[in-house]
Amino acid sequence: MRAEVKEYNFDWMMNRGVAAASLAADGTVKERDLLLRYVPYFKGPLEAILGEGEPGAEFLKMMAKFFDNLLTAHQKGKKIAATTFCFSPAILYAVDAVPVTFEILTALASMMWKRGAFDYLDFACEAGLTETSCSSQRGAIGAYFAGLGEEPDFMVCDTPGVCDTNANAFAFASNYLNKPFFQLNYPQRLNDGRTSQYHIDDFKALITFLEEQTGNKMDYDRLKRVLLEVEKQDTIIADMEDMQMAVPSPVPPLYNMFIYAGRFICSGLPEYTTALEKMRTAVRRNLENGICGLKSGVEKKRLFMCYIDHYTVDMTFWKWLDYKGLSHLGSILSKTFMEGTGYTKDIDGSAYKMDTSSEEAMLNSIAQLNARLPMVRSIRGPYDQPNMWLDETLAVARAYKADCIIYNGTPGCRNTWGMVKPFARDLEKMGYPTFIMYDDAFDDRVESWENTRARLEEFFTVRGLL
Amino acid sequence: MFDSFYEATTTIFNQSIQAWKESGKKVVGYTCSYVPAEIFFAADILPVRIRGIETEGMDIGDAYFGPFICSFPKCILQLAGKGKYRFLDGAIITPGCDAMRRLDECWRKAGEDYQGIVPPFFYYFDVPHKTLPHGMKWFQEEIRYLIDFVQKHFGLSISDEALRKAIALYNQGRQMLRELEEIRTRADVPITGTEAFAVTVAGTVMPRDVYTEKLGRLLESLKTRPPVSAGKKRLMVIGSISDDIEIVELIEKNPNALVVAENLCFGVRYEGNLVAETGDPVMAMAESYLGECTCPRMFGKYPERLEILKEKIAAAAIDGVIMQNIRFCDLHGSEHGLLERDLEKAGIPCLKIEREYGPLTDTGRMQMRIQAFLERISK
Repeated sequence: MRAEVKEYNFDWMMNRGVAAASLAADGTVKERDLLLRYVPYFKGPLEAILGEGEPGAEFLKMMAKFFDNLLTAHQKGKKIAATTFCFSPAILYAVDAVPVTFEILTALASMMWKRGAFDYLDFACEAGLTETSCSSQRGAIGAYFAGLGEEPDFMVCDTPGVCDTNANAFAFASNYLNKPFFQLNYPQRLNDGRTSQYHIDDFKALITFLEEQTGNKMDYDRLKRVLLEVEKQDTIIADMEDMQMAVPSPVPPLYNMFIYAGRFICSGLPEYTTALEKMRTAVRRNLENGICGLKSGVEKKRLFMCYIDHYTVDMTFWKWLDYKGLSHLGSILSKTFMEGTGYTKDIDGSAYKMDTSSEEAMLNSIAQLNARLPMVRSIRGPYDQPNMWLDETLAVARAYKADCIIYNGTPGCRNTWGMVKPFARDLEKMGYPTFIMYDDAFDDRVESWENTRARLEEFFTVRGLL
Repeated sequence: MFDSFYEATTTIFNQSIQAWKESGKKVVGYTCSYVPAEIFFAADILPVRIRGIETEGMDIGDAYFGPFICSFPKCILQLAGKGKYRFLDGAIITPGCDAMRRLDECWRKAGEDYQGIVPPFFYYFDVPHKTLPHGMKWFQEEIRYLIDFVQKHFGLSISDEALRKAIALYNQGRQMLRELEEIRTRADVPITGTEAFAVTVAGTVMPRDVYTEKLGRLLESLKTRPPVSAGKKRLMVIGSISDDIEIVELIEKNPNALVVAENLCFGVRYEGNLVAETGDPVMAMAESYLGECTCPRMFGKYPERLEILKEKIAAAAIDGVIMQNIRFCDLHGSEHGLLERDLEKAGIPCLKIEREYGPLTDTGRMQMRIQAFLERISK
């Protein structure tokens, strides 16, 4: 790693950017514009986020809170748990641990910094991870391998059988950093009794691990408070999802990212609830006024990202969506699969329900919630098995009246690259123009944004969508 | 002596499978060492490991799998699409890794375009990634479901007694493979790595009783065979799945190199594990097949795997370890990063090679690196 990059702490640097931006949001327009002159590298993404008004400001405040929790955890005698985007941090908050979610930090670095997360991605390979491993973990993990982040106390991840590459990165990190490790495991199916029992058995083993690592016994009153907050948050998300079904969609593209970034780092924290409430208010206002969430106010087409979004430098993907008049209908990351959401009606047994009536019920609820997080929910088994990726994608595409579907991931996603071609063919047969992007969502060096954009535009043109 | 092993190892539809089919009996293929082959032997069905050798081209493999995928499952799909696996009456796919488990969908989908390539018995065997009590329970249940499914599909019955007999026979072979492994650890080694690997791979595709009998005769013959190890560096090969003896041959083309041990999926890594012959046979198979944790798919068990490897390295007096991984095999590739760090720290030289599975098109590059490594450890 270059010496100059090693001069600055990764998470501290990110925190300063986010915290300063969140303060700027409370200032006058003149003050904000003045600040932006002094942060030329951050200007693009900050303008985009602050441009969303109150929801953007609250999102930044939530992020600042997350970083503050992380950077002060050890001072406060709390343990830091390195974790992943498909593992609900709510259980960590319930045992008074502080999560650090590698994929979110990689995405933030990729979007916000002129150099993206490139140096850290490369350093992870210097440490021994393969260059073909998933860049979503590799970015932040590289920084942590280089000692540029707060030292985690233990690692918890899930997804063996859902994404080997993800679990492998955490298993590697636990050995490289010599930290205790727990992996939540999933069978191939989702909604039968035997599988549910496996989920809860494994979740109980996780609780035992967390108690050992944090030295805190599970406080079920605290867990209840956290879960009720999660329920409130998922209800707000479900409200926005309902409104997103309207044509034109009243949801700005960037909100989808706000929703899942918050869910993966602040699930169960009141700061996330506040940010969601602000978003819901804005979306409702748009809906009542018949206004599209796009900046232009004109929705040309509706796009469902059947996997993840594109996060590289300067938030170009989000700006492009706005510029092209494409409503973003969410992705595998933004949907909660809480009971009662529109898309789960089509796929019986796919939803989870929050029940806080007893300790057992709470454990079961969070185990079932976790079992419905991205990837865990839909790519644990054959994609064309009931309730899996094909069913889910079609249900969402139908409910949201998508005009087309786009797959975007990273070359490291062995799980989806293993079958995305037949999957796309099935979607096409069902009448959805489907485009497979061959870029890296976190690394512009695999394919430049300019090339990615050109290929996207080619798809929209050739298929007669735009 | 080695001809029948070589023939079995280097041919997909080998003579013993042909003879089995001609006798009117069934053959079931499986993709991963977590499938208890005893179940099929007990049912008088021939279990064979599904392999990727003999691949020419990748037009079918590439049409279904994406580009960032290990070439091993692609080769299997290619062979299936070309009809080379039409002799299979069944196939079992397991989540050995993500790329291999996606063979389930890709093979079925290719079957929509290439009629008759999907065997009538096509089964997904859901192996968990942990050995905690609920993981073992799940795996036992999976074994029982598999037995039920085989019984129903093929209209036969598999008794506990038949399973116990199969376990005993397989254990006999396992003991012999252990003996072979022990012979290779001696100062004077009478068998090359290529020969030994061919013998081991053959065990995954030959009728077990035939194999055990041949293996017994081989071990007897080794007692009087002159050593081949004089003046050679003793090497160990580890890493990604490999059923191709050419990779060992490539190393041993160097006059000062002898592979005296390997830790590979098709090698003794699994074939050396004994299964308890008493008690419930399903529980015994579950304990042995899942409990050993010798594959990186069992996340969090790296320290155990490192210790096993160190013991083998010490036992065989290894001069150097060659770590090979197929491109996009992150499980082995990344674990090699850790192993290189820890083994080199312990004074054991290591060479990491990334390669493609299939016809060894990049032998020149690989050979150059192997030779450089041999130079390093010869100093």
